[in-house]
Amino acid sequence: MPSRRSLLTTSAAWLALGAAARAQSPEAAARAFVKSTGDRLVGVANGPGSSQQKRQEMTRVIDQVVDVDGVARFCLGRYWRQATPQQQQRYMAVFHQVLVTNITSKLGEYRGVSFVVGRSTADADNVSVDTTVNRPNNPPSDVKWVIANPTSGPKIVDVVAEGTSLRLTQRSDYASYLNQHGGSVEALITAMQHQVEQDEASG
Amino acid sequence: MRAFVRTALTWLPPLLVLTLAGCATPPPASDPDALAYYNETNDPLEPFNRKMYAVNNALDAAVLRPASIAYKDVLPEFLRTGIHNILGNLHTPVQLSNDMLEGKPRRAGDTYMRFLINTTVGVLGFFDVAKGWGYPDHDADFGMTMAQWGVGPGPYLYLPVLGPNDPRDFAGFGVDIAADPFTWVGQGAVVQGLGYGKWALTALDQRSRLLGEISNIKKTALDPYATFRSLYRQHRTSQIEEMENDNRATVPVWFRQPAADH
Repeated sequence: MPSRRSLLTTSAAWLALGAAARAQSPEAAARAFVKSTGDRLVGVANGPGSSQQKRQEMTRVIDQVVDVDGVARFCLGRYWRQATPQQQQRYMAVFHQVLVTNITSKLGEYRGVSFVVGRSTADADNVSVDTTVNRPNNPPSDVKWVIANPTSGPKIVDVVAEGTSLRLTQRSDYASYLNQHGGSVEALITAMQHQVEQDEASG
Repeated sequence: MRAFVRTALTWLPPLLVLTLAGCATPPPASDPDALAYYNETNDPLEPFNRKMYAVNNALDAAVLRPASIAYKDVLPEFLRTGIHNILGNLHTPVQLSNDMLEGKPRRAGDTYMRFLINTTVGVLGFFDVAKGWGYPDHDADFGMTMAQWGVGPGPYLYLPVLGPNDPRDFAGFGVDIAADPFTWVGQGAVVQGLGYGKWALTALDQRSRLLGEISNIKKTALDPYATFRSLYRQHRTSQIEEMENDNRATVPVWFRQPAADH
């Protein structure tokens, strides 16, 4: 009969082995997340349904996979602290819509899109996953996805296309607009709302 | 092409005068946030640049964009890709000299092998066979070379026809034209015509590859000028970083590898 100690050791080893099998490296987890998210986005882009249905579908996917609040705050930069709580709330809401609008307006162009997941690299905070996006009638492009918390609730915090970061570009767009409008967050929110309305009218 | 260089040189002095006249005044030190923004964007010529942006937009809407749409509609994709490859292949001398000036022997080797393979097996550069054989393309120009030598980009510059720029890259553009053997070979109307043809085809090729992206930016940006400024800088920075980080060893695969990586 095996001693109690050896039994304990064996079961502890089994437990550890099981945990190791379940726990992925952050790089592998981020790659898997990008693969499944990309498949969902491609599914919406290539799938059936009216543009209205696709927009709804897109909103749901974006809510689940993008750190919208974090990106929104980043894009407002130093003006975030200057805004009133009520402005912050309205900005968040309209930013959400702008993001959905910007992504869905590209959907038409992305019909027939496919992508290949490449290598991933981890830095202090996030994991970046390289992909190559192939669209019919267009040259292939390198797109890097920046993922926060890859192993516990992964979220997209940035998309870097051909070396240009989506959130950095958006931030400089807003900064320039604010600079030309006396730093008025109110003016920015109005302009963003106008943009969403215009797109809905044309779409 | 020589005529083009001469024209460019004639236009440069009045352009510089115009540029200086378009200087913005920096905000006072009493407004630190505005001053920080001014320094961060590093665009002291913004009033001039914005005027040139408007000029280019008008030119683009009238000429380049419709021409590029027609180019994309008329030619099938494989032909456009082939033309893109041929233009890239003709650019080899400039790319190779910059690879060497950057001190990147592996990149120079890639460029050299690409030229040999694509000019022969790739039928005068039409097919990019070398990419599949392990010699992918990369960017190299004298602006990047100067960056490698420690030259900063300088303030933002938006130029008529050429678009987003900065003094370093604009100087690099001039050096690359002067360094291109095609600028100097041959004489007569035919050679000149071919030179302009190549130039026009390059413009069509590049613009047609960006049709969707540019119209999307104009539609979604609140301030497209600032968005293009940011995109241009980020793109240049990433090209330069990629070049600087390309430190593949020059030891042949069959030789004992250096242990530095482990």
